[in-house]
Amino acid sequence: MKSRPNLYTNYDKETAIFSNNTQKFWFAVLFVLSVSLCFVATDYWILLISRSLTFSIGAWGINIVSGLAGQITLAHGSFIGIGVYTAAVLGGVASNSVWGYELDMLIWLPAAGIVAALFSLILAPLAVRLKGLNLALVTLAFLFICSHIFSNFISVTGGAGIGRKVAKLVLFGINLEEGLVFGNFLLEKNQIQYLICLFLCIVMGFGFKNIVRSRAGRAYAGIRDGDIAAEALGVNLFRYKASAFALASFYAGVGGAMASTISGGVEPGLFNLLFSILAVAIIVIGGAGTVLGPLFGAFFYIMAPGFIQYILKITHLTESALPLNLGQIEAMLFGLCIILFLIFEPRGLWGIWFRLRNYFKAWPFSY
Amino acid sequence: MTIFLQATVEGLSLAAIYSLVAIGFVLIYKSMDVLSFAQPALAVVGAGLISSLAVDRGVPFWVALFIGISLTGVLGLIVERTFLRPMVGEPVFSVAILTIGIDILLRTTLDNWIGLNPRYMGDPFPSFGNFGSAQIGGVTIKYLEIAALATAIFIIIALNVFFRKSKYGVAMRATSFDQEAALAQGINVGRIFGLVWFIAGILAAFAGFFITGGFNTLSQTSFVVALRALPAVVIGGLDSIPGAVVGSIIIGLTQGYVAYYQYDFEILTGITLGNGFSLLAPYIIMFFILVVKPDGLYGTKEVERV
Repeated sequence: MKSRPNLYTNYDKETAIFSNNTQKFWFAVLFVLSVSLCFVATDYWILLISRSLTFSIGAWGINIVSGLAGQITLAHGSFIGIGVYTAAVLGGVASNSVWGYELDMLIWLPAAGIVAALFSLILAPLAVRLKGLNLALVTLAFLFICSHIFSNFISVTGGAGIGRKVAKLVLFGINLEEGLVFGNFLLEKNQIQYLICLFLCIVMGFGFKNIVRSRAGRAYAGIRDGDIAAEALGVNLFRYKASAFALASFYAGVGGAMASTISGGVEPGLFNLLFSILAVAIIVIGGAGTVLGPLFGAFFYIMAPGFIQYILKITHLTESALPLNLGQIEAMLFGLCIILFLIFEPRGLWGIWFRLRNYFKAWPFSY
Repeated sequence: MTIFLQATVEGLSLAAIYSLVAIGFVLIYKSMDVLSFAQPALAVVGAGLISSLAVDRGVPFWVALFIGISLTGVLGLIVERTFLRPMVGEPVFSVAILTIGIDILLRTTLDNWIGLNPRYMGDPFPSFGNFGSAQIGGVTIKYLEIAALATAIFIIIALNVFFRKSKYGVAMRATSFDQEAALAQGINVGRIFGLVWFIAGILAAFAGFFITGGFNTLSQTSFVVALRALPAVVIGGLDSIPGAVVGSIIIGLTQGYVAYYQYDFEILTGITLGNGFSLLAPYIIMFFILVVKPDGLYGTKEVERV
C-alpha cells in the first residue's frame, strides 16, 4: 500500500483533504515557510503577500458561484464593498461625517461576511429565474445600483472622492495597531496582520475544499454541467443557487474586510465595474473551479506589479523613461493575460501547474 | 412645457447615440452569439482616431472623420480575426470575458494617449462656434444633436436596405439564422464574421464621435456613456435590431427626463436619489425588465434542449 499512493480502497480516502502523504508533507513545509517568512521578509513583501492572501479569499468566493456552480456574476465587487463597509462601520472610528462603533475584530470580521451574504439573498430569486448572460446582466445592474448607493450613502462610506478610514485591528480587546511586545521582542503591526491573513486564508481555503467535496459541492457541479438534468435528479435549484451566492458573498465580505485593513482607507469609487471584472479575471487566470486556482490568480495579480516595481528599482529605470505608466503596464499585462489564458490555457495557471506536476511525476517517461 | 420639450430633444439625441452602439451589439450577438463588451472601447478609440487626425495632425475635418471611422471598422475586423476567431464554439461567457480583456487593452492604450487633459474633436463649422445651437420656441437644440439623430436614422435605413437587398446582407441574415446551413450553402461564414465586426466598428466610431463631439470632449471616462447602450440592448432583446432601437429610445428618454425632473421629484416627495441618478436609471430599468421579461421586449424566446 505504501508504494501505491494512487490506490484508494475506500471513498473516504479518495475525498480526503490530503489524498496522500506527499501533499501533507508539502503543506507542512509551505506552512512553516510562510510563518517564518514574516520574520525574514521586508515590509514591502509582507504587505504584498498579505494582500494576495486576502484577495485569494475573495477569489475563492467568486470561484464558488462561477467556478463550481457555473453562475456568472459581475456583482462580486459590490459584495466585497458591502463587507468592507460593514466592517468599517462596526470596527472603525466615528467622525463628524461617518458612523463607527470601534468593536472587536471577533465581531466585525464575521459580521462583514454575514451582512454581505444577507444582501446576496436579494439576488437569489433572480438567479433561479435567469441563467447565463441574462444573469450576468442582472448582476451588472446590481453592481451599478450598489456603486451609486456607495457614493451617496455618506454616513457609511464617506462619499465619493473622499472615502473613510476602515476597521481597526483590535482582537480580544488588545489593540494591535501599535504592535505587540513579547519580553524584549516587538511584533510589528504588519507582521501581525500577515499572520492573521495567513490564518484566515488557510481556514477559508480548507472551507472551500470542504465545500467542493461535500454534498453542496456536488450539487453545484451538477447545476454547472446541466441545471435541468440536476433538477430532474432531485437537486433543489433554488436552495443551491441561493446558497452558492450567499457563500460566495460571505467569502467576499471576509476577504474584503481583511484587505481593507491593509490599505487603511477606502473610497467608494474603488468598487466599480473594473473591480468586479478583476474578480472574474483572477479566477480565469488562476483556473476556475479548482481549489488552488484562485490562490495562484490572486498571487499573480498582486505580485506581478510588485515584481515590475522591484525590477524597475534594481535596474534604476524611472517611470518617465517608459512609454506607459505603472498602472497602465499592469492593466495591459492583465488584459493580455485574460485573452491569452482564455485562448491557450482555459484551465489557467492551475492547468500549467497540473501539467508540470504530471510531467515530473512520470519523469523521465512521458506518461 | 419648455423643460419637457428640452428633455425630449436631449433624450432623443442620446437615444440616437445609444442606438448606434446598440445595433453593433445586436449584430455581433446575432451572428456570433457573442456579447461584446469591447464595443464601448471601439467607440472611444474611434473618437480618439478622429481627434488625433483632425486636431493633432491638422487633417481637414471631413477627411479625418472618414479615415477615423474607417480605421475603427478595420480595427474591429482585426480584433475579430486575431482574438475571436480562435474562440469559435467556446462557451458564451468565456468569449464575453475575452472581449473584456480586449476592452482593457484598447482603453489602456487610448488612456495613455489621452493623458490628463480632455481632447477635442475638431470643428467643421468654425463660424458656428463648436458646432453651434439653435433656439426654437425656448428650446435649445444643438446642431450636434440634430446631426446625431439624422445620422442614426440614415444608418438604420441604410442597414435595413443592406440586409434586404445586397448579397452580403442576405448572407449575414442566413448566417445568423443557422451557421452550419449557411456554410453548406457556400456562404463564407468567416468573412461574414469579419464584416459584422467591421460594421459594428463603424457604428461604434460614429457613436464615439457624437458622444465626444463639441463641448463634451474625449476623456478617460467617455466610454461609460457608450456602455449605457448595453441596458438598451437588453431591454429590447439581445437578438433584435428593432428592439435595440426601441430600447435606446426608452433609455435615452428616461435619462433625459430623470435629469430634468429629479430635482422637482425630490422636493415633491422628500426622497433624495443622489447625484447622477439619471445615469443609473437605465440600469434600474434593465434590472426590472430582466426580472419580468428575461428575453427583452422583442427578443426571441430561448428554446432549451435537455
